[in-house]
Amino acid sequence: MVELKNVSFRYGSEEAGTEHENSLTDVSLSIQNGEFVLLTGPSGCGKTTILRLINGLIPHFYPGVIDGDILLDGKRVRDLELYDTAKLVGTVFQNPRSQFYNVDTTGELAFGCENQGLSETEIYNRIDDTVARFQIEKLMDRSIFQLSDGEKQKIACASVDVSGTGLILLDEPSANLDYEATMALRELIKCWQSQGKTIIAAEHRIAYLWDLIDRAVILREGKIIRELSCEEKNSLSPNELASMGLRSNQLESPEQINLPILESQDQALLLRGFSFSYPRAKKAIVDIPELRLAEGEITAVTGSNGVGKTSFLNCLCGLEARCKGILEYKGKSYDRKARQQLCFMVMQDTGNQLFTESVLDEVLISLPKGTQNGNDRAIDILRQLDLGAFLDRHPQSLSGGQKQRLAIACALISERRILLLDEPTSGLDYTHMIETAELLKRLRDMGTTILVVTHDSELIHSCCTRKVSLGNS
Amino acid sequence: MAYSAELAQEKRRGLLDPRTKLALVLLLAVFVLGGLGGEQVKPIKTVLSALPFLLLLAERQWRRFGRGVLLLIVGYGLLWIMPRLPSALGFLALLCGGILTRFVVTVVMGEYLIATTSVSEFISAMERLHMPQAITIPMSVMFRLFPTIGAEWRSIRRAMRMRGIHLGGTKAGQVLEYQLVPMMTSTVRIGEELSASALTRGLGAPIKRTNICRIGFRVQDYVLLTGCLFTIFVWIMELCGVKLW
Repeated sequence: MVELKNVSFRYGSEEAGTEHENSLTDVSLSIQNGEFVLLTGPSGCGKTTILRLINGLIPHFYPGVIDGDILLDGKRVRDLELYDTAKLVGTVFQNPRSQFYNVDTTGELAFGCENQGLSETEIYNRIDDTVARFQIEKLMDRSIFQLSDGEKQKIACASVDVSGTGLILLDEPSANLDYEATMALRELIKCWQSQGKTIIAAEHRIAYLWDLIDRAVILREGKIIRELSCEEKNSLSPNELASMGLRSNQLESPEQINLPILESQDQALLLRGFSFSYPRAKKAIVDIPELRLAEGEITAVTGSNGVGKTSFLNCLCGLEARCKGILEYKGKSYDRKARQQLCFMVMQDTGNQLFTESVLDEVLISLPKGTQNGNDRAIDILRQLDLGAFLDRHPQSLSGGQKQRLAIACALISERRILLLDEPTSGLDYTHMIETAELLKRLRDMGTTILVVTHDSELIHSCCTRKVSLGNS
Repeated sequence: MAYSAELAQEKRRGLLDPRTKLALVLLLAVFVLGGLGGEQVKPIKTVLSALPFLLLLAERQWRRFGRGVLLLIVGYGLLWIMPRLPSALGFLALLCGGILTRFVVTVVMGEYLIATTSVSEFISAMERLHMPQAITIPMSVMFRLFPTIGAEWRSIRRAMRMRGIHLGGTKAGQVLEYQLVPMMTSTVRIGEELSASALTRGLGAPIKRTNICRIGFRVQDYVLLTGCLFTIFVWIMELCGVKLW
């Protein structure tokens, strides 16, 4: 049983009282054994903070000021060492790329038990049992670096399962997963439920869990604003969800959404001979002999795991030297090199495409040579994207949504006419997702052609007017 | 048939014990890279230098083998062409050739160690050497941090190309600085997330850790370790002025 009694918390030391993001105020919550509880709410509402308080990372790893008590089966988490808490609580984290200690999958599954000093035979038996139940034989004895994000998240779940803890915490485990991988994750969670494990999940994307949970706890700015029982949650309308800043609870595959690739009145963008394969791979991951896309529209690019959506964007941007496609745009042909000047991509890891030490500098390095009044233009564009107040901030210190807008500002000033986005709303809450959608519509109205690789059905409904499904086009 | 982790673990056991690999890396670093030892040790060094390549072949690491051999050929090629070049270029060739021929062998041995040792095997070996956790844990993190950082690096370089920042472009002087900004941020973030995850899984408990891997000395280990001792013996004899051959 997990109990939070009047817990207040803020990150940082006693004196520094400026940072209020992700803090908690007087949160009380009691979770019975075998219950599946969903914590949800807008970004910064404190749901991850609650998980960290339960698994002991707060205060042992992330320091801060705690009031109140957090009890695990009657024991105060604060008084337990992290390696003792580890025997009671297993955590699956958001980022599939940075939660593994080992390089091989088998070693990863054994890791938790090895740390507890269990016998070798016991560990082998547990691994075999988990592998059979999760049906992950194909993933065993592989290098972590060869796995897709979905497969990595399966291994993360499996390693928690091998450790055999009764309480499992999920910290936005689906943020980087596409529809199919999310459904696979759902199956693993069902498997835990049938074993009577206690599960606490913090999530924005609530649809894949909605019918499984026993209770939903909705947070906002560090407070619990509502608790929904099983019956209450089922009678909630979409408008009520949206008013609490929540995503849709309707599970919908992006493939089910019906939008045309091209309408008869559309000006077309013609792609010819786009094919690309990785070195030593037998099959081409991108293979598009000819494709017409709508100019000046927002086109969603969908397709299941591994059909090469990101590779497709890379080819289109001219980043893959091995891809020899030609793009025809407004009557002109663009080869690979020319496309580098025509297309701008907002990557999934937006932080990796921001290089300077201030927001203004960041935009200025994308300024075409010989532009008049460059500085004024940059400031003007930043204002339009609500970044006017951050001109001197370090780009890496911005929030996820702000980094994304900054990257888009760079695209605007570089005057590239085609904007590509790779999963722009993964891990974004409802409000931020709608903001991104509105921004994309504004950019379209300014004449930009936009392609969005996404598995977010809500985003497609909010702004996309065309859709192309890779793999069967 | 159902999956058996134990059988699989047995099957993937490498040729050598990690301790033997570590001993070889150290030996190569001291004698080949560091250049310790005189005339008497020289024939042994030649044998030592061939070792990492033979080991890579034995473990079917074709790509790493090919890359290592290529770099050596380039290195010796530079040294060979050096006297035929004008002096400034010749000096550059000497510098590059010298660095390549010295470093490549040891680097290849290090690559062999990383490529063929799992984290579990490494920790297990360090424990048998009675290394304290304070040394073992940070070193074992290196195994996965390097490839992770490598992937970040490639992603950042790709992003730079997309934004039109490249060597030879307008901002050539700042390219390195531009690369380091996101690199540092993401390395810190990844390191933090890795630590948090490892801690929630009980790393650092003050108990005897289990290691499911199979390690232990076999014939091939004894042969190579004897070789290591022999090298040191020859070197000490040389220091004492005893002529062996």
